[in-house]
Amino acid sequence: MYGNWGRFLRVNLSTGEVKVEGYDEEFAKKWLGSRGLAIYLLLKEMDPKADPLGPENKLIITPGPLSGTSAPTGGRYNVVTKSPATGFITMANSGGYFGAELKFAGWDAIVVEGQSEKPVYIYIKDDNVEIRDASHLWGKVVSETEEAIKKEIGSKKLHIASIGPAGENLVKFAAVMNDGHRAAGRGGVGAVMGSKKLKAIAVEGSKRVPIADRQKFMLVVREKINKLRNDPVAGGGLPKYGTAVLVNIINENGLYPTRNFQTGVFEHAYEQSGEAMTAKYLIRNQPCYACPIGCGRVNKLPTVGVTEGPEYESIWALGANLGINDLASIIEANHQCDEFGLDTISTGGTLAAAMELYEKGYLTDEELGDAPPFRWGNTEVLHYYIEKIAYRKGLGDKLAEGSYRFAEMYGHPEYSMSVKKLELPAYDPRGAEGHGLGYATNNRGGCHIKNYMISPEILGYPYKMDPHDISDDKIKMLILFQDLSAIIDAAGLCLFTTFGLGADDYRDMLNAALGWDFSTEDYLKIGERIWNAERIFNLKAGLVPERDDTLPKRFLEEPMPEGPNKGHVVRLKEMLPRYYKLRGWTEDGRVPKEKAEELGIAEFL
Amino acid sequence: MLVKLFATLIEFTGKRKLEVHGPKKVRELLDELDRMFPGFKKELEKGYIILVNGKNIEHLQGLDTPLSDDDTVSIFPPAGGG
Repeated sequence: MYGNWGRFLRVNLSTGEVKVEGYDEEFAKKWLGSRGLAIYLLLKEMDPKADPLGPENKLIITPGPLSGTSAPTGGRYNVVTKSPATGFITMANSGGYFGAELKFAGWDAIVVEGQSEKPVYIYIKDDNVEIRDASHLWGKVVSETEEAIKKEIGSKKLHIASIGPAGENLVKFAAVMNDGHRAAGRGGVGAVMGSKKLKAIAVEGSKRVPIADRQKFMLVVREKINKLRNDPVAGGGLPKYGTAVLVNIINENGLYPTRNFQTGVFEHAYEQSGEAMTAKYLIRNQPCYACPIGCGRVNKLPTVGVTEGPEYESIWALGANLGINDLASIIEANHQCDEFGLDTISTGGTLAAAMELYEKGYLTDEELGDAPPFRWGNTEVLHYYIEKIAYRKGLGDKLAEGSYRFAEMYGHPEYSMSVKKLELPAYDPRGAEGHGLGYATNNRGGCHIKNYMISPEILGYPYKMDPHDISDDKIKMLILFQDLSAIIDAAGLCLFTTFGLGADDYRDMLNAALGWDFSTEDYLKIGERIWNAERIFNLKAGLVPERDDTLPKRFLEEPMPEGPNKGHVVRLKEMLPRYYKLRGWTEDGRVPKEKAEELGIAEFL
Repeated sequence: MLVKLFATLIEFTGKRKLEVHGPKKVRELLDELDRMFPGFKKELEKGYIILVNGKNIEHLQGLDTPLSDDDTVSIFPPAGGG
């Protein structure tokens, strides 16, 4: 087999048993790898109703067939598990170097099962796998953890994925961090790792990923890298300004969510944009493994010194969504989130819900005591509460449950801007209705990554679609994006390659690496299979489509108050039945037997 | 009208915002900007996002979208992120 190694590690932390298991090429042709392999294992082996923080849940850490190769952005990995935030599946994805290193060690995945009694970390050096004591690491922040393990093992080649105090304390939006500042962020994967008392996974590998036709692969890769370098976004705006180049664009288009999505225009957007950050704080770019784009930022501040980030999403979540305009405070807060191991989007979304509850009088000064008041724009809130959340101290204990559960505690869950209890990212769907349908139907809840309709609706990739068009063409595009995203994740690549590459380009790279002769449609079928399998997992976990495939009431009932989208809501009710139909699902959003049979997944129904 | 420039266009022109009077269509505005900053139109050859009062001209009348003196025009080179 090529691309994949055809083997993965199964580590049971209850028993301390480590096993090597395999699969064949026929399996790879059905599931491709990574996100595909993970959903198969979860459906096959786990009760979808299991407690996400209990021993039955599995934490699957998995690079893809192109991870660790020279394919552009081939350094990514997924963390797939049942989310403690949503109760459904989550597949958090991260770059950096850890995913590639795991591949160099000869593994397609690590399946972590059970729960250890004492803190441990897993050390992998090629075929050698050890479960080591991590009692001395428990309580350490991410940079300290990485430093201590590197010192202990004494290898310069080591790459580490770990959790900070937030994961240890089971914060529902804790991230798995790697290479210091890279996060598999969404859905509380860090809490699942913490529930297993697994502090870190440290990996070094010396193998070369098997490629079917190395010369052909090299030529194909070179062609795709050139495409990316010549693309004005992947080779221009992204490397120059980072992902924060979006701040001004999204704001000028009137969908930059401000003050907990109360409006889509932020008066101070420019001060926190990629242009401003580049002028004031940037010292260099930080590309991930094999990435020709290099959107990662390294900034320098007097307070925290040299740090990585923040990304567009983090700037917004810790900035405009809280009414905060001070970029230095945002960079510091992002650094804190990285050190404690917190997802920045959900951290910001939860604080924003608290601010609106405070504004409306449901959260009172009496309860806050001496803590900083949750006033829009108050930067003290950031630094104070990020730490309190990570350690679940004071009000931080309630905030650590995420915006939905927090707002529910005060009797007003409608102030949580979340879908399936996962906080929404930085696009108000009233300014991009197809993107709104994506939020509502995403398998992991309020997420933009797996169905980035902002691309056609706002940025014009692959072509411009009217953000307020809700035709079947728009819905078909969303479905294509969802299936294609599943393939890019399963391949082990970064979604930013879609700014320069199309579905045929992924086909070319995969065929050359894997030695297959698949058509683009064949690959998209795998994507559709993954998407449907995840949907089946969610339905078995308790998803009720009529209750859960929706958006916060604000977007359905409160017209945007100002800006270019003034007066608009999301016409979800008009789109959702057509989405189900175009997906080949039942009228009430279930995967029918015929569709499951067509995709070869009827055994899971 | 108020013209707002972003990303590399700020470096190219040395300006983030400027007032321009006279052009009746987006096409004429671009001509005027090219006159003020020679090579401006070439900067947009690889693509652009042009908004008139926050609405993309692709959904208005393209380069023939009419302009008046109280409009705000935002011009971006191609961009993406996420």
